[in-house]
Amino acid sequence: MPKIDAPEKIFYSLLGRKMSDDELVDIFPVAKAELDGHDTEHHVIKIELNDTNRPDLWSPAGVARALKCYETSVIPEYGFFSSKDEEKDSEGRMVIDDESVIGIRDYSIGFAAKGKTVDDDLLVNLIQSQEKLCTNFGRKRKTIAMGIYRKELIKFPVHYAAVDPDKTKFVPLGMTEELSLREICEKHPKGKDYGYIVSSFPKFPYLYDDNNDTLSFPPVINSARIGAVEVGDSDFFIELSGPILDDLLLAANILACDMADMGFEIQPVKVRFAKDTPYGREITVPYRFQQSAEAELSLVERKLGLPISGDEAVAALRKMGVKASVKDGRIIAECPEWRNDFLHAVDIVEDVMIGYGLENFAPELPSDFTIGRLSPVEEFSRKVKGILVGLGFQEMMYNYLGSRREYIDNMHISDEKCVFIANPMSENYEVIRPSVLPCLLESEAVSGHAVYPHSIFEVGKITIKDESDNSGTVTKDSLGFLSSNAHIGYNEAASYVNTLMYFLRKEYTLGEVSGDERFIPGRAAQIIYNGKAVGIFGETHPQVLESWGCSMPAIMCEIDLDALMA
Amino acid sequence: MDIEVKNLHPLEVKLLRHVSSGEDITAERIIKELDYKVGQCNQAFSWLLAKGCLVETGRSHRVAYELTDLGRSHQKDGLPAERIFSFLSSEGPHAMPEISQALGLEKSDTGSAFGLLSSKGVAKMNDERKAEIVKDELPEDVRIQRSFLDKAVGSGMIDESTLSDKEKAAIQQLAKKRGAASADFKVIEGDIVVYNLTTEGEKAKKALLDANITGEEFGILTPEMLQTGAWKNGTFRPYGINAPTSRLIPGRRNAYSEYLQWVKDKLAALGFEEFDGPLVENEFWNGDALFMPQFHSARDIHDVYYVKDPVHAKRIEEPWLSQVAATHENGWKTGSRGWGYTFDHEFTRRQVLRSQGTVLSAHQLTKAKVPGKYFGIVRCFRYDQVDATHGADFYQTEGIVLGKDVNLRNLLGLLKMFAEEIAGAEEVKYVPGYFPFTEPSIEVHIKHPVLGWFELGGSGIFRPEVTEALGIDVPVLAWGLGIDRMALMHLGLNDLRELFTPDIDSVRTRRGN
Repeated sequence: MPKIDAPEKIFYSLLGRKMSDDELVDIFPVAKAELDGHDTEHHVIKIELNDTNRPDLWSPAGVARALKCYETSVIPEYGFFSSKDEEKDSEGRMVIDDESVIGIRDYSIGFAAKGKTVDDDLLVNLIQSQEKLCTNFGRKRKTIAMGIYRKELIKFPVHYAAVDPDKTKFVPLGMTEELSLREICEKHPKGKDYGYIVSSFPKFPYLYDDNNDTLSFPPVINSARIGAVEVGDSDFFIELSGPILDDLLLAANILACDMADMGFEIQPVKVRFAKDTPYGREITVPYRFQQSAEAELSLVERKLGLPISGDEAVAALRKMGVKASVKDGRIIAECPEWRNDFLHAVDIVEDVMIGYGLENFAPELPSDFTIGRLSPVEEFSRKVKGILVGLGFQEMMYNYLGSRREYIDNMHISDEKCVFIANPMSENYEVIRPSVLPCLLESEAVSGHAVYPHSIFEVGKITIKDESDNSGTVTKDSLGFLSSNAHIGYNEAASYVNTLMYFLRKEYTLGEVSGDERFIPGRAAQIIYNGKAVGIFGETHPQVLESWGCSMPAIMCEIDLDALMA
Repeated sequence: MDIEVKNLHPLEVKLLRHVSSGEDITAERIIKELDYKVGQCNQAFSWLLAKGCLVETGRSHRVAYELTDLGRSHQKDGLPAERIFSFLSSEGPHAMPEISQALGLEKSDTGSAFGLLSSKGVAKMNDERKAEIVKDELPEDVRIQRSFLDKAVGSGMIDESTLSDKEKAAIQQLAKKRGAASADFKVIEGDIVVYNLTTEGEKAKKALLDANITGEEFGILTPEMLQTGAWKNGTFRPYGINAPTSRLIPGRRNAYSEYLQWVKDKLAALGFEEFDGPLVENEFWNGDALFMPQFHSARDIHDVYYVKDPVHAKRIEEPWLSQVAATHENGWKTGSRGWGYTFDHEFTRRQVLRSQGTVLSAHQLTKAKVPGKYFGIVRCFRYDQVDATHGADFYQTEGIVLGKDVNLRNLLGLLKMFAEEIAGAEEVKYVPGYFPFTEPSIEVHIKHPVLGWFELGGSGIFRPEVTEALGIDVPVLAWGLGIDRMALMHLGLNDLRELFTPDIDSVRTRRGN
């Protein structure tokens, strides 16, 4: 979930007034936002945004726009959007994508902004917007990378091409000497972070102006000259590159709206693509690419459970920044230029719901009758637990992830049946437990101070490999119990098993155990049920107790409840 | 302090009744007169002192010699030297082994006793290597030893104050300090304490007499008393009901597990049927089936645990795979425009540890009845640093409701019911939420009597991209409840890791509210 910092001054000015924290807490939900904190010392409001499909909300300007619109029902109008029907004047500013980029990073687009001198707050704010769009929405620059440049140094048109990474050199931001694109990938901190996105291609993306001056090596790093924006600048060119055109256009629209809200004049830039797009070979950015979406009014009623008139739906959508009309029982919604989240009619339904106000929907229980029921394994487990409690055992509950040392080494078993994690966060949690027994022994190891005897059990899940399953693994419901005391042995274990199986009405026989190093040889038995081994019990081998650091003899038993239920 | 005389122990009762004010009360006296054991006597003294019935009036040091078990047997059967002397006197010379055998003595005892006799010129070894008596009187040492043994026979004790200096020196030879078994006497050193009855004791004694409490009341009711009817011939001593008790260690359910069971029972009572499933899932069910695009940030390697081996599931069930893939790409027949990317058929088979309970809701859709209500309390795994608020694995409580006409208001109704029935909420508030698989999405916040306002759960109506691709053509309400916070409060804990603690002591004593 993206979190943003909104400097009070900027945020309140965007809102048009100061709002108290209580007011913010109340109204934030309409933007699926939460007040994450208010740093009154540094005058920063911290906001968490929950909707990962609404990148327009990941900036103070975006949140303010949504809140203001909700409060006033006035949808902001921006005059700078071109569309398929209308092209704004780009005044000679142009980006030309060369065919060489196709298949590497297909598109570069841009727009310009001027008229406001950036101060510290504004610069930080711009960088935050850029960062959220490129990192969260742009999948860590994989699908969106954005550069902001000093426009007065650029001679248009700007060229976007794929070039030889060893022959193309420039001085990257943060350095003083010229490096080739390949050297940047190897040496520059940003190259190390983002170089991998393009480094497998024979040629790398490169952005330069008509004087052959470097703007940047997208998606990695700007040049140290044109690409070095500082406090005091007021004239910018913003460029976005990536493989998915709609995402780029959306990100450009969002940033253009944000900058306009903050007082910039947005200047369109014409883009000539290297290949055909749904919008043609040439468009002017910012560009309205969204199509209108439709939802039947009856769907709104069915989903929301309330009769809502066409006028009510239109009014509700207006609060959400969506222009809508109703025709023949259908809502036609114009997705705002800064959004692109109407995938399905239900997305319009939700906007109607929020705009209409959740408090206006009275809760009502579903009327269908259904039969409640516990799962068979839950029912069986409860029987098992009841018997063990009656036998004096304490029920335990354990984590299902553990270390190789606990689950395998200490148990003196092989790891061939164990299911490991490919990307463990720590070696303490690198394998799913193949048995309940190591968990019980861990209890023994940490509970020497607890009064003996210790009689403990757990009914829980274990996972081991099983070639016959589609996943190559099987999760089983397993009972494990352990009892430790100065005088305890095989006979007690056998008696517990006998008593348990008697009350479960399960006839069983015992089989010899061989080669199981968890138990003392000759003092363990397999439990055979329906001709199948379903469990094992016996005296814990002292080597296992020693590995765990346990100083009390213990018997233990594990039974596959799924097999016993079958 | 007023004494509840009926709470007095029989040892106290009998002592109090036996003594009068002005009399010296000593252990020696009580042991002798009331036939108490030393320990019983000391107990009675300490209890009565604590109650203020007795007061110490004098204390003197004394040394005494107590007959040991060995001394007792010597007193009764004779000292080895005495026995050898009388054996040889009556039976004539014998070899040493013959003596040992005839008298049943250890060889070493025979040897040292003969050594004593011979050193005093009472016996000697003759030319045939046989022991014979050469003087018809036992050595003086042995006679003194005998006299001590005889003197001690009654009380088992010789007070040092009754001995002459010479006797003192002699008996010190025979006694080892602190209970060595090979000596006839052991030295007992201690104080003789003298007690007197206090006014309080006097009052207690009077009360005992008035109430006719003798100390002979029945204690434990025995099977014999029942068989013989002896219980009819007396009264039972009342017990002090507030005496300290120990807590037993019973067989017990785990308090957290009991709480989860309670939630399960609640949900079953509300008409929900339980579902369950394996811990190992694949990307298809864990994300794709829930319409989370394969590039979604929550599906990153840093958010989900991947299974090392086997890396991939063998296959994904059809027709779900084709339908879900098409839905992601272009919306299929769901009315959606889809995510507009090329579905990765290898990635979808990649195996993961279940990261959210909703996965099982998705599975359930393929076999659900309409109308139907389902729930599961299932273990999930999240790629998180383990700390007080994050576990490596944890339970999620999830469910779905399928019905031809279910809608948002029904969802709110369900959430309200959960809030009231399961969380005991005082107030309920709904706010719009976001989940990739529901639209609309609702979060429910509740005001809990103890915890105050917090988010109880997330919910929504499954997107048609989820339900229709899995063969369901009615609306499906989906919900999840965060019950961990309530569980912690219920158990009086504030660290999630505690829920799965291996510590036996802490689990044994843990209680739900």
